[in-house]
Amino acid sequence: MGEHTVASFDEDLGQISKLIGDMGDLAGSMVGGATKALLNSDQALAQRVVSDDAIMDARQRELDDRAITLIAKRQPMADDLRHVVGSIRMAGDLERIGDLAKNIAKRVGTVGLSVTPRDLSHSIDAMAQLVLIQVQGVIEEYAAADAAALAKLRNDDERIDVKYTSVFRELLTYMMEDPRNITACTHLLFCAKNLERIGDHVTNIAENAYYVLTGTQLPANRPKQDETAMSAPAA
Amino acid sequence: MSQMLSPDMTIAAEAAVKAKIEVKNLNFYYGQSKALKDITLSLPERSVTAFIGPSGCGKSTLLRVFNRIYELYPKQTAEGQVLLDGHNVLDRSQDLNLLRTKIGMVFQKPTPFPMSIYENIAFGVRLYEKLSKSEMDGRVEQALKRAALWTEVKDKLNASGLSLSGGQQQRLCIARTVAVKPEVILLDEPASALDPLSTAKIEELIDELQADYTIVIVTHNMQQAARVSKQTAFMYLGELVEFDRTEKIFTSPREKRTQDYITGRFG
Repeated sequence: MGEHTVASFDEDLGQISKLIGDMGDLAGSMVGGATKALLNSDQALAQRVVSDDAIMDARQRELDDRAITLIAKRQPMADDLRHVVGSIRMAGDLERIGDLAKNIAKRVGTVGLSVTPRDLSHSIDAMAQLVLIQVQGVIEEYAAADAAALAKLRNDDERIDVKYTSVFRELLTYMMEDPRNITACTHLLFCAKNLERIGDHVTNIAENAYYVLTGTQLPANRPKQDETAMSAPAA
Repeated sequence: MSQMLSPDMTIAAEAAVKAKIEVKNLNFYYGQSKALKDITLSLPERSVTAFIGPSGCGKSTLLRVFNRIYELYPKQTAEGQVLLDGHNVLDRSQDLNLLRTKIGMVFQKPTPFPMSIYENIAFGVRLYEKLSKSEMDGRVEQALKRAALWTEVKDKLNASGLSLSGGQQQRLCIARTVAVKPEVILLDEPASALDPLSTAKIEELIDELQADYTIVIVTHNMQQAARVSKQTAFMYLGELVEFDRTEKIFTSPREKRTQDYITGRFG
């Protein structure tokens, strides 16, 4: 895409893109840090993730301000309009990813890995790695303007859902085996659920990024494999 | 070219309304210079169509072909067809006065006649119809109401049209156009010389008038085109580059040249 006749318009759009990139990097670092802190009972790292959330919130507010000012000043059209509106929405999802990572970090002290079976930490680690690849991938593919890769990445969320279902069942088993595991396992269940929700936000970002790049929406339905809702008691 | 034809076919089909004006393979020349190149598009009835494009792209020329007003000037020629309800208005047998009552026009600069507000409206009507005084009073009032000007001028109908503000003068011109009961109204940058409030009144008026008239507007203000029109044509160097639903043109146009123009990237 060529440059605008008004050069400062390109600068304004560039600053919004940079903020999305920064928020994406921060989201990746927070998700990676939170799961590492959880699996290693690393309180210092957990604390860093909690404080990073304030930076994430500040970035989102800055992006909102810049985007609204740009709309007021430039009245963007076509791909510029999609870029600005899409960035506002993507920033919202990134900020939520930050919140969910912070929530995982805050549980680190309560869980205490001593009672967590080694196999279980492997399962959560594997799920976290899948999520981390998605978070980092979505920002990279958007920066590379690769719409096809974004469409594929959105469908890859299915793998996280499958993993979540298996972690959910595994945790239930441990709780039934020994009621003393219930507190830790419940916290871990929340952590797994947060990772699964992060995957959903990545999906939203991929859909928005795809629309920004192509001007067309991905089909509304995508594969869903989270079966935990179906295994919940009817009452 | 065939790629370009499909969207306007879609527009007519989607809107499920008949085409009021169909332009077929239209070429236009200023002397030797070709200003319109093989234009084909159809404008749905009772709907607003916007023409956008940089200066000199041919949008005003295309508008001027619809009511053959270009014939007021020498060495200007049009080839092809412009069908108004299926009848080619470029036929030599076309009665020009009748054509211009059916297709009214409002220009960029307000052009009230140097006569009273009342006479500005009545003058045109008298050319085509014999009305009694009371019938004419009714027609003038109706036209001024239609142009959202009545409440502002009803107590000074004998004042000169030139005494009105720019925005009021433009609405007087629209009232004058509406008074002769046209079927199509051509607006050539009708609000470009007006302040934001007067512009808003003209846009509100366009919105109301489309219930009864087929409206074509040429505008350099992209936001205005996006606000008032249902379909938009982007023209460049005498060619119709893209014609589609307005929301499609301004959110995700098909052609790179359209995208570059509306986003301000034109080289």
